[in-house]
Amino acid sequence: MQIRNTLSRWGVVSQTLHWLIVILIITQFVLAETEHDMPLGLAKFAILARHKSIGITILILAILRLLWRWMNPVPPLPDTLKPYERVLAHVSHFGLYFFLFAQPITGWILSSASNFPVSYFGWFTLPNLVAPDKHFAAIVHEVHEWLFNILVAFAVLHIAAALKHHFVLKDDVLRRMLPQVPKTPR
Amino acid sequence: MRRAIAGFLFLSLCTAIVLAGGEAPNAAPAATTPAAAPATPASGGATFTVDPAKSWVGFTAKQSGGDVDGRFDKFTAAIAFSDANLAASRFDVQIDTKSVNTQDDNRDSVLRDKDLFDSSKFPTAHFVTSAFTRKAAGQYEATGKLTIRDVTREVHLPFTFQTTQEGGKPVAWLKGGVGLNRLDYGVGQGDWKDTSVAENPVRVKFELRLLPK
Repeated sequence: MQIRNTLSRWGVVSQTLHWLIVILIITQFVLAETEHDMPLGLAKFAILARHKSIGITILILAILRLLWRWMNPVPPLPDTLKPYERVLAHVSHFGLYFFLFAQPITGWILSSASNFPVSYFGWFTLPNLVAPDKHFAAIVHEVHEWLFNILVAFAVLHIAAALKHHFVLKDDVLRRMLPQVPKTPR
Repeated sequence: MRRAIAGFLFLSLCTAIVLAGGEAPNAAPAATTPAAAPATPASGGATFTVDPAKSWVGFTAKQSGGDVDGRFDKFTAAIAFSDANLAASRFDVQIDTKSVNTQDDNRDSVLRDKDLFDSSKFPTAHFVTSAFTRKAAGQYEATGKLTIRDVTREVHLPFTFQTTQEGGKPVAWLKGGVGLNRLDYGVGQGDWKDTSVAENPVRVKFELRLLPK
């Protein structure tokens, strides 16, 4: 089991961070949709609090991920890519990293502007980033939701590309982000 | 040397006049915003008008682990207070529970709703003192009855009272706070009896800028 990245594969740490963040983002979406349809009350506030704690978890994991990426080799894009595909790949990767930061931070700002200090699972409370302001909170709420829509578009592109590599181009782009299966040729 | 002593005496005299002016006894109680002022306190306690622009009554509650500050935008406070005459001193504060403001409309509507303040049924929270004790210079404790919803309980409220000069005018600052359990007052029916989202302890606090009448 390879802990660090090599030029041909993502290591265990990178893979774990990648898939953990995928699971947490899906969880965030489910929580947000559930909360959205609930009547005002205790359960709604409880779900929102959980959504915020998980959001901060994603922010922490995103920081770790970038640090790890910076300290490790990054498997290069395949040589077979056309120039516009390389650009598309870089833009979508950059975009996805951007959202890993932008979503938690806009959520944190939204919480601060709504005078809901963000508590991390009740263990500690984060400082407010801005002063309470209802008008500003409404704007940030819109931004937070729209950013998610754009994130989904980027994720769809990312998934489509990964599947194309695996099933059409039959290269190892998807496989190198998956646990190594014995006897499978790389 | 003699001039210095004369100057000191003059300054002391001025200070004494100012301090005396700051606590000049008066008859009628003070009220901030619209509502009628409650009962007139006995003579002897200096009465004050609350400066609504610089005074507030609020609270800090814990929601999902984080401190949430809120205020009541509408309240009236009849304040008669004199260190020299604690027996005649009296606070009578009425708070409009519908005016609760935590800077979030959703949360405020939940607070006004029947499980918490139930503002349509219990529009006013009321605090009225019955006795005062001096704890230290400028520090006191008021004993009084606090009514929230339909529950009245005795509360011991520590506070400070300081007279000062602002813009050449005598002003007094009354500041204090006390910890309560919201469930003791029935603020938390149904789902809200649960304290995992909104914790039971709440700190009520206030700062009043008082102008002598």
